[in-house]
Amino acid sequence: MRDDRIEAKREADALDESAREARELAERLGLEPYPVRYWVVDHDQMNELIAYGGFQRRYPHWRWGMNYERQRKKDRHGLGKAFEIVNNDDPAHAFLQESNSAADQKAVITHVEAHADFFANNDWFGLYADRGEDGPNAAARLERNADRIAAIAKRADVDRDEVERLIDAVSALEDTIDQHSPVDAARSVEEPGVAADVSDDADDSLAAIEDRIDDLDLSEEVRRDVFDDEWLEARGEGVEPEEPRPDVLAFLRDHGKRYDPESGKAIDREPWETTVIDAIREEAYYFAGQKQTKVMNEGWATYWESVMMGGEGFAGPDEFLTYADHMSRVLGSPGLNPYKLGFELWTHVELRAARREVVDKLLRVEGVTPENFHSRIDLDEVADLLEPHPAIAGAGPATLDELADLAAAGDPRVDAEAVDLALSARDDAGTDPGETGGDRRGDIDVERYPWKLLTREGLAERHFVLSRPDHRGALRNVSREALEEQARYLFDVDRYETAAEAIEDVDRAAGWERMFEVRESHNDVTFIDAFLTDEFVREGNYFTYEYSRAAEEHRVASVDADDVRKKLLLRFTNFGKPTVVVLDGNFRNRGELLLGHRYNGVALDEERAKETLKRVFELWGRPVNLATVRVEYDEGAARRAKRRGEEPAGTEVGVRFQYDGGEVTEHDLDGAIEERIVADEVDYDTKPDDWLA
Amino acid sequence: MGLTEDRERFREAGETRREDLAEFISRGDLGGSGADRIRIPVKIVDLPAFEYDQRSAGGVGQGGDGQPQPGQPVEPEPGDGDEDGEPGEEGGDHEYYEMDPEEFARELDEALGLDLEPKGKQVVEEVEGDFTDTARAGPRGTLDVDEFFKRGLKRHLATDFDDAYVREGLFVAGADVDDVFAWARGEGIPVSRAWVADAAATLADERGEPVAALDRWESFEALDDGVDREPVTQRIRREGLDSVPFRREDERFRHPEVIEERERNVVVVNVRDASGSMRETKRELVERVFTPMDWYLTGKYDAAEFRYVVHDAEAWEVDREEFFGIQSGGGTRISSAYELVEELLEEYPYSEWNRYVFAAGDSENAGSDTRDNVIPTMESIDANLQAYVETQPGDGAANARHADEVESAFGDADDVAVARVSEPDDVTDAIYEILSTESSGGGSAPDGATVARRTDGGEHR
Repeated sequence: MRDDRIEAKREADALDESAREARELAERLGLEPYPVRYWVVDHDQMNELIAYGGFQRRYPHWRWGMNYERQRKKDRHGLGKAFEIVNNDDPAHAFLQESNSAADQKAVITHVEAHADFFANNDWFGLYADRGEDGPNAAARLERNADRIAAIAKRADVDRDEVERLIDAVSALEDTIDQHSPVDAARSVEEPGVAADVSDDADDSLAAIEDRIDDLDLSEEVRRDVFDDEWLEARGEGVEPEEPRPDVLAFLRDHGKRYDPESGKAIDREPWETTVIDAIREEAYYFAGQKQTKVMNEGWATYWESVMMGGEGFAGPDEFLTYADHMSRVLGSPGLNPYKLGFELWTHVELRAARREVVDKLLRVEGVTPENFHSRIDLDEVADLLEPHPAIAGAGPATLDELADLAAAGDPRVDAEAVDLALSARDDAGTDPGETGGDRRGDIDVERYPWKLLTREGLAERHFVLSRPDHRGALRNVSREALEEQARYLFDVDRYETAAEAIEDVDRAAGWERMFEVRESHNDVTFIDAFLTDEFVREGNYFTYEYSRAAEEHRVASVDADDVRKKLLLRFTNFGKPTVVVLDGNFRNRGELLLGHRYNGVALDEERAKETLKRVFELWGRPVNLATVRVEYDEGAARRAKRRGEEPAGTEVGVRFQYDGGEVTEHDLDGAIEERIVADEVDYDTKPDDWLA
Repeated sequence: MGLTEDRERFREAGETRREDLAEFISRGDLGGSGADRIRIPVKIVDLPAFEYDQRSAGGVGQGGDGQPQPGQPVEPEPGDGDEDGEPGEEGGDHEYYEMDPEEFARELDEALGLDLEPKGKQVVEEVEGDFTDTARAGPRGTLDVDEFFKRGLKRHLATDFDDAYVREGLFVAGADVDDVFAWARGEGIPVSRAWVADAAATLADERGEPVAALDRWESFEALDDGVDREPVTQRIRREGLDSVPFRREDERFRHPEVIEERERNVVVVNVRDASGSMRETKRELVERVFTPMDWYLTGKYDAAEFRYVVHDAEAWEVDREEFFGIQSGGGTRISSAYELVEELLEEYPYSEWNRYVFAAGDSENAGSDTRDNVIPTMESIDANLQAYVETQPGDGAANARHADEVESAFGDADDVAVARVSEPDDVTDAIYEILSTESSGGGSAPDGATVARRTDGGEHR
């Protein structure tokens, strides 16, 4: 691949040790990453990889060119220099920027290891990408699609522009897939041509009838006269889904046709078209996992990076400043930053679980109740008690003897074998100072890698969240309600005589355990929904903002946690895109397609929606419709409201866009359809009533 | 397949989707551009998708210190601070097609069918061109080392010879120094007699007998048959070159070629009525006509200067930033502006400058000011082109006759244009009307090549 470059190879060799040690540390911390192959690339190759979504070969399409140009521009202006890109695959491939400093490379490697763990263990990734026995096999799948589509584009009987247009059309709909049932996304890519018919859906009688007509081998004219669309639709059940279908792309794949400008009719697709649609659809599912867990995944990687780099000194003392700077740049980039939000949410998850564990133990101290908790428990004393054992905290050459004593007593926090090895290495070095200990097999460099002396339990104590300086106050913030709530389900109280005894029993790994559970089952939506607590919103100074028509600018709308959560969920639900479903495949009994935008209080970007509708037409072959709701403002009322310093109240009006190959036209929306697309319960508008007062 | 091809496809896609130039001038956002960089919004090339309306969606932000108060204005957030590229997650940020004024002028020529050929005026300066001329003397730093070495090497080649071969001549039976010298020169070997004599003396010393007595070769012919002469170049290749004789006379110093530039320079005075009747829509129309013309002329000429004059009953000069926004309360007397223009133009003698005077307003003027004062002043101002742009004449007011009067006074003159703009759709027509007036007039014979070369004591080879 790219290892023919001498410079890159040299770099990669230098990183071997870092990669090996980072893997060992990651595993000791409990992570279970896919194997990772590291590559070192120069900035141009990096730009290219980023443009192609982290893979070296994708199907031919102009948007990779566009991505590349943009990335290059960003790179040149120093905006968003990419340190690495890692793809979700088994083994994962991580590409590191050649120009990264040594400290950056180490940080990036720890970050990548955590990503690889997330890829391997998050259920959503499993659902989308990890199909079949052989794991995600992503590079191979994408490469196969690349070959197939390139071969199609080269065929003499296929116009290359047509292929690109088709890819454009499918890509415009890549987010209108059914996130919850990615089953068989790739079903017919494996055997192109099998699905040559409009549908391979056995109970689709319309398709069967069309097949039979095809068999009659009639001329186009006769066919049109005798078996026109109306006749056909009268026969078949038609394509009128009982329930709205969220997987628009699948519906179009199964029932769509292509518009033939010459005959002015919809005709069946060529087999190659179905192949292309399936390939792009398969890739959409592959990338869905990534899109759906951006906050979690980046936060997860950033969290473990900080434990390994900062907490475990994976960056040498000389590199630490560079690393700290790197981290502050990553977390400090403007806007709603998935790294930062994710990092903070994960820490919050950890903190709450750890606090819960500590509180649970303290509530079992004799005589302690939720009511007297804050007066009976000396939180300063608790804080001291929670401090890690000095030998654990300061594990390293200086504490070897102490650790050996602990090991001898069977302390589970200490890796007895490692301490043994380190001791004998030290003694050897004492008798034979000429020899460099590190080179021999089995020896460990406790100076650089002190964590090798500890078990996961020991590391958990070393990094216990409540003994980190920023979070020492967390116990103080626990409310009486929270204590009561927790005490309600508590039995076996009065187990400990003193707080010291209780703290003795605290499981320091409780925070991490909870994090591991969450990393398996959640995606961004559920993650934010579950863990964006009032406390989190308050501590982080989060707020929502809305556009004010009266003030003609954006204004802070709410600092309420529910509102912030709701707004964030809007951004992450359904990939942050409005939900559009198939309402009818035989609209107005004319074989037209009717899509419905599930209106939740936030309007569509109409310009883009119209453009997208044109792409839908390419895949349906007959007129297409989109039902949505827009908010209209009466000009007079808006002026009056503005004068009174109020936000004008708009009226929600249903509207239907139609496209039949000419211009997008606008129509009134039938009331019954409007009812079907408007959600009653949800409203993402967080504007307060007396907003501008 | 591959990046090259994908980029090429993107470029094609981008070009076809760039906002039409006429559309951009009439309706586009001119504010994104600077004087020397024109940014034309590109219709979103990115694939469309069903997306939320950004305003309707609102968003979430994070306060730096302390919780902000509801109602407080905020900047909407600028998309993720993405580090890794995430496929399909590009925000809806604007793309621009950037062009410099030269390209803009070319494109506008093409779009509107203009062919303005700017005139070169007086020689303004002698500039230093490339360091392509050479002289025998000069500062050390400009020594042309390549040339110096080449000359030295040439000399070396000219004087070097195969000494072993010449020495061999001394072994020819009966040959003395003069015979050998004559033979060698006959062979074209650049050897001196002194060298031969030297070599003979040395040889005689070694052998203890005069060279004439040595008889390895019967004759010079026998020598030629028996010994292969090694060409100099071959020997240099074999032995390398230990020294090249550098001489003073080989030194060549490079110095820049002097180019006399006849600069095509232009001064444009933009004049605008700022009186009370010039409301926002009118001001915007003026901006839409003037700004592209400024870009156009900047692109056409080597150097362009702009002056901005606004007036009501009085006239005063302003900066570009203020020019399009000012609205004053007073009445209107257009001649006040032309008086100021005439004064300003004194700084730019017509013999050295191309001059353009563009005025705009809603045709309202005081009394008979146009006939009595403006037209005479316009007649007295020497300029390539003077234009008046009438924007939405004041609701049929009786005194809104300035444009008509100017038009009838100058008729078909090729240096005065009158254009009328009442809505954005008229903008490009107006620009065409104005700019084509000069180019269609025969008065501006192109002055073609304006760069004259003059060499300065240098040596040409």
